[in-house]
Amino acid sequence: MKKYHEQIEYLVGQEPNLVELLQAAEIRELLREAVNAGAAWILLTLDDGSVVCSEEGRSIPPEFREIRAPLSLEGENIGTIIVRGDSGCSALGGISAMLRSAIMIVMHNNLKRMLTAEMHTSLVTRTYDELLSKNLDLSASEARYRELAQSLELKVKERTEQLGIANARLLQQEKMVSIGQLAAGVAHEINNPIGFIKSNLATLKKYSGRLLEMLAWYEERTADSPLLAAGAAAKKTELKLELVKSDIWDLLAQSLAGAERVKKIVADLKGVSHIDESVDREFDLAQEVERIMTVIQPQIPDDAVIVQEIEPTPKIPGSGALFCQALANLIQNACLARPAGLKLTIAARCANGLVRFSVADNGPGVPPELRNRIFDPFFTTRKVGEGTGMGLAVVYDIINKSGGNIFVADTLGGGAMFVIEYPVAAVEGV
Amino acid sequence: MIEYSEADNKMVLKLVYYGPAMSGKTTNLLTLHEQLSSDSRGELMVLDTADDRTIFFDLLPFFLITPSGLKIKLKVYTVPGQVKHDATRKAVLQRADGVVFIADSQVGEQAKNANSFENLEQNIALVGLDIETLPLVIQFNKRDLADIIPEEALLEKWQQTGIPVLFSSALTGEGVIETFAAIAGLVYGHLDEKFGLAALHRLSRDSFVDQLCCRAEP
Repeated sequence: MKKYHEQIEYLVGQEPNLVELLQAAEIRELLREAVNAGAAWILLTLDDGSVVCSEEGRSIPPEFREIRAPLSLEGENIGTIIVRGDSGCSALGGISAMLRSAIMIVMHNNLKRMLTAEMHTSLVTRTYDELLSKNLDLSASEARYRELAQSLELKVKERTEQLGIANARLLQQEKMVSIGQLAAGVAHEINNPIGFIKSNLATLKKYSGRLLEMLAWYEERTADSPLLAAGAAAKKTELKLELVKSDIWDLLAQSLAGAERVKKIVADLKGVSHIDESVDREFDLAQEVERIMTVIQPQIPDDAVIVQEIEPTPKIPGSGALFCQALANLIQNACLARPAGLKLTIAARCANGLVRFSVADNGPGVPPELRNRIFDPFFTTRKVGEGTGMGLAVVYDIINKSGGNIFVADTLGGGAMFVIEYPVAAVEGV
Repeated sequence: MIEYSEADNKMVLKLVYYGPAMSGKTTNLLTLHEQLSSDSRGELMVLDTADDRTIFFDLLPFFLITPSGLKIKLKVYTVPGQVKHDATRKAVLQRADGVVFIADSQVGEQAKNANSFENLEQNIALVGLDIETLPLVIQFNKRDLADIIPEEALLEKWQQTGIPVLFSSALTGEGVIETFAAIAGLVYGHLDEKFGLAALHRLSRDSFVDQLCCRAEP
């Protein structure tokens, strides 16, 4: 609305400027002809007293008369034509009337011309301005679309990458969930049989004691009869009962220990998958380390030396299951970095406002130029098909989401040390 | 208002006859010119028309002087009704003191009436006027024709808007002066509020309307 007002300068209805409507040059010829026709002196004045034009004959007659005729425009009187001439000049009335009529027509036509011309000009100007602004808008829009078209390819590539990463993460998470569920299912199924195996083994141990006791009793009684004793000894030797007697306790003890171990593995499997907990609010570092070490044991080479320097720390906010997953990934990486002669140091302590947890190996370490890339999704130094490049990306995600920070450093011996730090403020906030 | 000069003691007002093409705006002005006394009005100026269609506008000025000596000039304009001349309509509508909407009574012309009225509403807002307060009357013209909407139907539809509705036949002259008197009365009310026409200039509504609508001697 405001814009429109600024553009319209000419107002339809403005009172006409009379001087513009009656220019001396235009009507001088008329006045001259009137003088030629017999008028002695003609004066044309406007209402405000200004003289537009005047014309004189050769001489003013001594006896003259004067005729005044009003000029009007749009119905208003705006001026006067004064005609003087010889008193005897009969044509003076006619001259005055014709002059008035002619000048009125000139004025009227000039007014019309002015109105139409000004209207036309103002409309043309406004239309031009509108076109100009429209053109400007169009140019801007065109530039925007051109830029859009150029960057589209780039954007598509970028988005495709993001999509791929999101997809891989999702896949990894699903995988972990399935593994967790599988582990929990297996653990649940094994729990029952291992329970009665353990219990039966204990009973079997008790029964075996009784059988051996019976055997001793028989031996004692047959000692009095040499014939019977010799037969019994021969049979005993044939059945290798001396060996059985000494071995039976070892077998039972080993079986019981094995069953005990299976029971512990099952418990840790359940712990790692955290199947019993609906939502973890916080977890204990030492407990999670113990659980994962049991479960991951078969993947660790036999000659590996594992050092645990776990000091008590406050509980960490977040999911223990996810932390286990991160820890498992770090340990698996260490095993791959140093297949033989691995020395793995897992440490946790609380100092300087930070809970500091580290996993260090004695492998080749991470070259400095790769350190800011190893946490990127799909970044891997392994051969195609051997690594997905998602392991450390998942670790990074897990630690970041629980408010921690992870980075890689050197160990004294040149291996890699992954350090995870949780600010104590965040820890204490729980 | 076109201008108001205290120094010259002069006020120039603007009245606009708006409406769809061929609804009879120029004919209204011709009839006013013909029927009203030349004492109060000036000459009708018809600006270049092509095939009897208004391209720019028509102008009929009226004059009156209040007992206090205030000179009032009322310029009555028509706008071009054709859709393509919208820019001209906006220019003419600027600073209007009142609008007469000339509608065509014929059954087949109602859509054009509606479009033109919508256009009027838009343009009133565009030139910074307020349709709620701007004096406005509607004239349903061409009552002399056969296929027209009945008065009752038109009244029923328009009376709820509060806009005065008049009926006319500009060609035969019926209802034209009545329409002019109706808008003059509304414009008076508007001016009186702002400039105290009655109190300061001793000009009553009736006197204002009567002076403007003074019929020519037969």
